[in-house]
Amino acid sequence: MMTFALAFAILILVLALGIWFAAVLDGVFSRQLSGHGTVGLLAPFHASAVYLTQQRLRTEAPDQLNWFLSIAGYLSVAATGLAVVPFGPDLAVIGLDTSVVFWGACESLIVVLVFLHGWSPNAPLSLIGAYRYVAIGLPIMLPSMFVLIAVAIPAQSLDLRDIVASQETVWNVIRQPLGLPLFLLLGLSLTLRGPFDYADSDDLAGGTSAEDSGANRAGWQVARLAMLVGFSAVASAAFLGGYLGPVLPGFVWVIIKTLVVMAIVIGLSHLLVRLPVARMLGLIWKILLPISFLDLLWAGLVALA
Amino acid sequence: MGRIGGTGMTDLLFYALSALAIWSGWRVFRVDSMIRATFALMVSFTSVGGIAVLMAADYIGVATVFMMAVEMMVMGLFMVMFMMNPAGLNPMQMVHQYKFSIAAGVLGFVGLATAVLLTNFPDNPLPENRDTLRDLGIELLGGSMLIFETAGVTLLATMVGAVALSSRRGRFGDSDAGAAPPGLHPGGEPAGRKVEKGGGHGGHGGHGGHQMNMEKTKQDSSDDPHKGHGNMSETEA
Repeated sequence: MMTFALAFAILILVLALGIWFAAVLDGVFSRQLSGHGTVGLLAPFHASAVYLTQQRLRTEAPDQLNWFLSIAGYLSVAATGLAVVPFGPDLAVIGLDTSVVFWGACESLIVVLVFLHGWSPNAPLSLIGAYRYVAIGLPIMLPSMFVLIAVAIPAQSLDLRDIVASQETVWNVIRQPLGLPLFLLLGLSLTLRGPFDYADSDDLAGGTSAEDSGANRAGWQVARLAMLVGFSAVASAAFLGGYLGPVLPGFVWVIIKTLVVMAIVIGLSHLLVRLPVARMLGLIWKILLPISFLDLLWAGLVALA
Repeated sequence: MGRIGGTGMTDLLFYALSALAIWSGWRVFRVDSMIRATFALMVSFTSVGGIAVLMAADYIGVATVFMMAVEMMVMGLFMVMFMMNPAGLNPMQMVHQYKFSIAAGVLGFVGLATAVLLTNFPDNPLPENRDTLRDLGIELLGGSMLIFETAGVTLLATMVGAVALSSRRGRFGDSDAGAAPPGLHPGGEPAGRKVEKGGGHGGHGGHGGHQMNMEKTKQDSSDDPHKGHGNMSETEA
């Protein structure tokens, strides 16, 4: 019970710290690249205060329940994904033998929730965002599944705790060089960012969140950042050795590595361009998927050698 | 898993998840939209997956949630795509063939309930830390792991290849050549409004499909008030 309380406290800390860090870093990048946006350690709080004091607008005949559930669900799936990440040996909020598959279930629920978020307002732009996202969000999950199976091979376990423990000598990012880059692309898709932002992009005036206003908008944006934290923590556990590291306690290493992955994802989301949907589909099915096969084959051959 | 607190906690969770599964299953037939019905079904399956996790069948439970989320998403999307109801938000009648479906439902319920009541379930408790995942893997795959994996990857590659090959030739020509509507008579030039070369409007109506006739003439758009009526043809520079 003590370890559970400790793990839960760390989870809240990581989540809060990560959301704030991501919001600040996003501001820095947009300022540098486009000249818009405010930079400041308190800027995220100001922005959310503005949203929270605004009126909540309704569309015509929306599905209120699903609209609310999609925002709440997205946030809770982000927290649930973070909960399987070990903050130390045997220090995970959800200690599950199949935590990698559990994370896969979170991934697929995210596609459902983003779709619902765009579908529920009963408005054209958000609906286009929703449909477009499903077309890209589902196939990009396939390469991520293969790279996750690949990291499970050296650990001989589907448990993220064992996967971290198996990186004692060498991290998976070195042992399986194709894995992390492919997984980062999934992160861009899960958090609706940059080259994979087919859901909430500017060309659709905000896409699935075009009709969000007031507290709902603040909630959805916080949920997106929370998802970035959850994803980055899973990536750091699967590829960067999670809590392993010298001197500092394990959970501090988890936080450091999570923040590093987050910074990379945020940088990629601001620096890479987005392809048209059809070309992105071709890229995923014809290039990224075969590369993920290679990653799996590589992992298998290394395990046999 | 199934090691959440004592027995009381597990029991409570079991009843809560069962109630949610039954309620959302009932909602599937009561809601008036494809998307709502699809995701109500997903919630039902997810609850059953949760029950499987409670029963220490981690992998089966979690995989059920995983599969069902993807499956229902695809199913919902395709159902809406093939229906006349854009987006599936407009209210629509979701049930039909009442007599047949009531009979089938009653028969199915009685049959499954009888099977559950008559089956002799094994009663041999396993040790606390038994690795059920490993047992399941050996039971399902055993010595044929390599064959299974090879067949799986081959099937996936075949599916991707089949879709890539068959989706190139579409109703309006090759998918990578841009869209152009079919001709009014076989082999004729594409129907519909002609696109001005380099013009701002015209949108994405038909690039690339009919260069021939765009090279010769350009039609003034009729919504320009300063030009007179009729088609003033002018050669393009």
